[in-house]
Amino acid sequence: MAPKKKDEPGFSRRSFLKTVGAGGVAAGVLGPASTAEGQNVKAIGPAASPIQLNVNGKFHRLEVEPRVTLLDALRTRLNITGPKRVCDRGSCGACTVILDDRTVYSCSMLAIEAQGKVIRTAEGLTEGTVLHSVQQAFCDHDGLMCGFCTPGFVTAAVALLEKNPKPTRQEARKALDGNICRCGTYPRVLEAALNPKSAAGVKRG
Amino acid sequence: MARRRKKLEAGSWKLEAGTQQPPPPAAQAAPPPAPQGPPRNWPPVADRTLIGKSIKRLDGPDKAQGKAKYTYDIIRPGMLYGRLLGSPHAHARIKGIDLSAAEKLAGVKAVLALKDPAGEGANGKAFYQGDEIAAVAATTEDIAEDAVRLIKVEYEPLQALATAAQAMSADAPAVFPKGNVSQQSLQQEGDVEAALKSAAHIVEGTYSTQVQTHTSLETHGGICEWEGEKLTAWVSTQAVHGARDGIAGSLKIPQTNVRVITDYMGGGFGSKLGFDYQVVVCARLAKLANAPVKLMLNRKEEHLVTGNRPSAYAKVRAGVDAKGKLVAFDAETWGTGGAGAGAAFRVPYPIYVFPSRRQRHRDAYTNAGPQRAFRAPGHPQASFITEVVLDELADKLRLDPLELRMRNVLSATDPSQEDPSRQWRKYFPMGAEKIGWSKRHPTGDPASGPIKRGMGCAGNTWGGAGSRATRANCQILPDGSVLARIGTQDIGTGTRTLVAIVAAETMGLPLTGVKAEIGDTNYPFAPGSGGSVTVASVSATMRIACENARDELFAKVAPALGVEPSALAAKDGRIQVKDAPSKGMTWREACKLLGVQPISADGAFGPGLSSTGTSGVQFADVEVDIETGVTRVKRIVCVQDCGTIMDKLTAESQVYGGIIMGLGFALYENRILDRNTARMVNPNMEWYLLPGMSDIPEIDITLVDQPDRGPVGLGEPPVISTAAAVANAVANAIGVRVRKLPLSPDAILQALNEERTGGTL
Amino acid sequence: MKSFAYVNAAGEKEAVAALSPERGRFLPLAGGMDLLALMKDYIAQPDRLVNVKGLDRAIARTPDGGLRIGAAVTLTQLAESAEARRMYPAMTDAAAEVGTPQIRNVGTVGGNINQRPRCWYFRNEEFPCLKKGGSTCYAVDGENQYHAIFGDGPCHIVHPSSLAVPSVALNAKFRVVGPTGERVVDAGEYFQMPDRNLFGETVLAPNELLTHVMLPPPGAARTATYEVRFKQSHDWPLAFASVALSMSGDTVRGARVVMGAVAPIPWRSPAAEAALTGKRLTEEAAMTAADAAVQGAKPMTLNSYKVQIARTAVKRAIMKAAGLKTV
Repeated sequence: MAPKKKDEPGFSRRSFLKTVGAGGVAAGVLGPASTAEGQNVKAIGPAASPIQLNVNGKFHRLEVEPRVTLLDALRTRLNITGPKRVCDRGSCGACTVILDDRTVYSCSMLAIEAQGKVIRTAEGLTEGTVLHSVQQAFCDHDGLMCGFCTPGFVTAAVALLEKNPKPTRQEARKALDGNICRCGTYPRVLEAALNPKSAAGVKRG
Repeated sequence: MARRRKKLEAGSWKLEAGTQQPPPPAAQAAPPPAPQGPPRNWPPVADRTLIGKSIKRLDGPDKAQGKAKYTYDIIRPGMLYGRLLGSPHAHARIKGIDLSAAEKLAGVKAVLALKDPAGEGANGKAFYQGDEIAAVAATTEDIAEDAVRLIKVEYEPLQALATAAQAMSADAPAVFPKGNVSQQSLQQEGDVEAALKSAAHIVEGTYSTQVQTHTSLETHGGICEWEGEKLTAWVSTQAVHGARDGIAGSLKIPQTNVRVITDYMGGGFGSKLGFDYQVVVCARLAKLANAPVKLMLNRKEEHLVTGNRPSAYAKVRAGVDAKGKLVAFDAETWGTGGAGAGAAFRVPYPIYVFPSRRQRHRDAYTNAGPQRAFRAPGHPQASFITEVVLDELADKLRLDPLELRMRNVLSATDPSQEDPSRQWRKYFPMGAEKIGWSKRHPTGDPASGPIKRGMGCAGNTWGGAGSRATRANCQILPDGSVLARIGTQDIGTGTRTLVAIVAAETMGLPLTGVKAEIGDTNYPFAPGSGGSVTVASVSATMRIACENARDELFAKVAPALGVEPSALAAKDGRIQVKDAPSKGMTWREACKLLGVQPISADGAFGPGLSSTGTSGVQFADVEVDIETGVTRVKRIVCVQDCGTIMDKLTAESQVYGGIIMGLGFALYENRILDRNTARMVNPNMEWYLLPGMSDIPEIDITLVDQPDRGPVGLGEPPVISTAAAVANAVANAIGVRVRKLPLSPDAILQALNEERTGGTL
Repeated sequence: MKSFAYVNAAGEKEAVAALSPERGRFLPLAGGMDLLALMKDYIAQPDRLVNVKGLDRAIARTPDGGLRIGAAVTLTQLAESAEARRMYPAMTDAAAEVGTPQIRNVGTVGGNINQRPRCWYFRNEEFPCLKKGGSTCYAVDGENQYHAIFGDGPCHIVHPSSLAVPSVALNAKFRVVGPTGERVVDAGEYFQMPDRNLFGETVLAPNELLTHVMLPPPGAARTATYEVRFKQSHDWPLAFASVALSMSGDTVRGARVVMGAVAPIPWRSPAAEAALTGKRLTEEAAMTAADAAVQGAKPMTLNSYKVQIARTAVKRAIMKAAGLKTV
């Protein structure tokens, strides 16, 4: 039989804190909002409130309205422009970032909900001046042309290899199915993803 | 060809409906005088250190690290965000525009009306969904969007034309000032009627291809920043000089006051060759707000207003004689390029000899965004139509379709000479061997079960010559640095790397010994990156500029070595005597001789370094599930030339890219308008379908090097024949002809239900 | 998108209390893959979002030997659950095919089941369609190649959820909480046809939440989902089917056959089920059942091809469930 706490629906305190912000700061302008039964509910926004985002190993403080997506927070507030805005609807993958250990479409996530997560973009994969082995593979195999889709593909490939260092062609394809390239670099992106310079180079930072 | 321009009351500029996007300036200006000087040449093949090798892109690392800054990424101090209001109606009169609520919103710094309710023609009307009505600049994008939604426009919706058929119908409403349908144009050679009468077999059918949108990942737009009367514009463009001229012209300011910068751009495919109205609007907002403004289109706007490949329809009668020689191709054709824009294409596709041909063509105008040049304009449509007809004729003859092509494809005018731009006779058998054509069954896979396999083929041609208008500059500095400057742009093709390859090869230096600077109107003129002219234009011109600079260095070095300059060579990082290589000095030592005076040498496009004309073939191997109509392409084989391969790695990537775009055209892409309102129902990347990773077949490329021809453009050739080859493969598989694109499941199932072709050998 | 306030709910009660009985005013936010897009297109314009990712996100065995899946479980979690795969392949097959990895990593079971239709008239603000309170279904005379082939309207959407269909085939129950407490709804009763509910697709009131999908013990049932879609990388299905068979040797004792992407709700076919019951499971029997499944289809002007695809999906789902080769 499953452990007792799993059978109980609802928040655990830990998951509550994760959502609000691991920094422990009560998020922003918490004002009372009414509920059907007149209970007070702590609401954030619509005005901007302070949040903290952990991006590529650095903590950033910024103020955003709830409606600001993680993508727009990265690009317009933090000048982290590797993730791109292309379809803005979760259809193309150009905005892909790694959240904890999984790829997500940053255009389809609110910035306030990305608090307490470890966010990595293509920019954060380089160590000093040394390219990540996946980035190097993209260069070696020419898995890029105009390059607009490239940061998204690179993060998707890194997330794949961190979980599955020796994927089959089929597994690699499926893992990269969430990213679109208009220039048509797919064959070489696949080769790059299957042949990073060294599998040992693909490690969680 | 001049285009009429009309200035709006509101002070903005827009093309009148009924005219097209201006073509890239280089293509239309009177050509400069014939290139001067004796023909230059590339180093002998054996001596080439970089040219023809697989050279990695110089900007690969920046792109892979997300450090490359595209227009969409750039943030300027004090920058505002611009947004447009587009018409929700495909056809409407603008009765009133009320900007007041938008102007009052906190954070809004500029608001402009772009249409004039009292105006005539395009001024006072919307002719397609997305037609720009107003624009806003605000401190954040969210505020700009809020402001746009506060603008109140009074529309009088009018009946809209959604399809070519509607436009051509007798009871169509009068939508366009010059009529909904153009005059019919006629082209003919020989006597088609007589030829068809004498034909042993005739194929008659109606063929069609769909409207395709470019779907560049980086949308159109720019950042405009004024300093007094000088404007700097970072634009996502394929033509920095074209953009500059267009912006200056629209704003009526001197071209010298405008600088356009495109360091990186996220794709164009032809849609970013002219200047963009949206960038002009951006400039006006920036002036009004007295702050830099970034205005980038969103995905919906991108689908609606930035151009497309027009649809193509052809009612064909084609004939062949009993010996398998084509005799006639007669076609009534039409298509729509949207609001007031043409849909021209030429059939039959010109690589096959039809002694008699006739084409009567009309453009039908619809209330949709006007077309723009899209990678090999006209060719994929014409290739599909012609190649499917050829396979149908082959079936009537009970002849292998490959054999029919071999009997009729163009070859050299003089049979004793080989024409390097007409190599289909060589390439078809090469491709056939690679795909296993000998195992191909006649039309209709006899295997049991719902999965049918089939093969098809098609050929392509393109020009891709260099532009005489191209200029370049090369500087050699006293510390040995080399700067190669040219105002071309790298749209993903690898042009930046190409410039460095040419400079380094010429100077005998490694790639790291030179710096390529591109993408700025401050640099010498280069044509827009369209028409596949770039590799020829840029390599030839940069070669000449670099040779001129190098020769100036030789002149400095020669006395020190006691030889004539003509005795010198630049090789392996040295300047040395050709016949006595140990006599020389290092590059650095040579440059020290310059003292304080750098060398700066210009080059103009000249003869001997590039060529024109390419040929290619593609074969497709497909699998069709006849219980679902789903087609999967298993393999594409491509044999393609491009003159001298300058960088093998990036050239191959171009070919993959063209083929994959051709696959999208064959199977998935379709700009769908609601037939009642002419609004696009799929202006997104959810329902405008592009191939993804799991949709890509095995692709086998043979890029044929012609090392002594000089480079010829490769951007367009590989997109042309893919859909035709796939369509022929599908018919071979299912035993039924599908005469339209895209080859969607409903098209396949419909064809299976409607008609079965005979035809077996 | 329009500005909104954001609420983190500490638990079910608080989440329900933070919602509103007024449709569309306050909306629950799970993974956001559907809702944020709807908001960017101004189809949804809530004043408040209530974060429900903290609802139960466990997959747990129930005392009766079934499985209880929390609504906040992500699709990746469900697809990767070895236990769920072993017990209900029809469910995990469906979960694994939803969208793309990025979508599955944040998309939740509850969000998938409650997502709004993909109909391009519904999703484009310029069309004031029936479902949005207007007077016209634009699909009827318009571009209906992806619309319903069953049902009499007045709205012709197809239900977009991949999990809804196996839920019905597996006879799942949904636990719902609202202001008056909790209730349990059969999956087969949860989804509503447009003539009963035009502005929504399910029985959920605006201030109710789906908290769990409860699957009965699988017994020896053989289940499968078979999907037909065009693009392999990322595309909506043209038609799909989930089948649950209880077998006695190679004879079908009982069957549940449900189709997806063909109607405004998961479309169960009693005729197909009857055609299978008591029969030896062969390709022929599957074909007969598939033919029965599409009897009574009412295609629109452009989508009669979907009848053939639905038929194929049913046949191949039956074959797959039976462990026979599908193609």
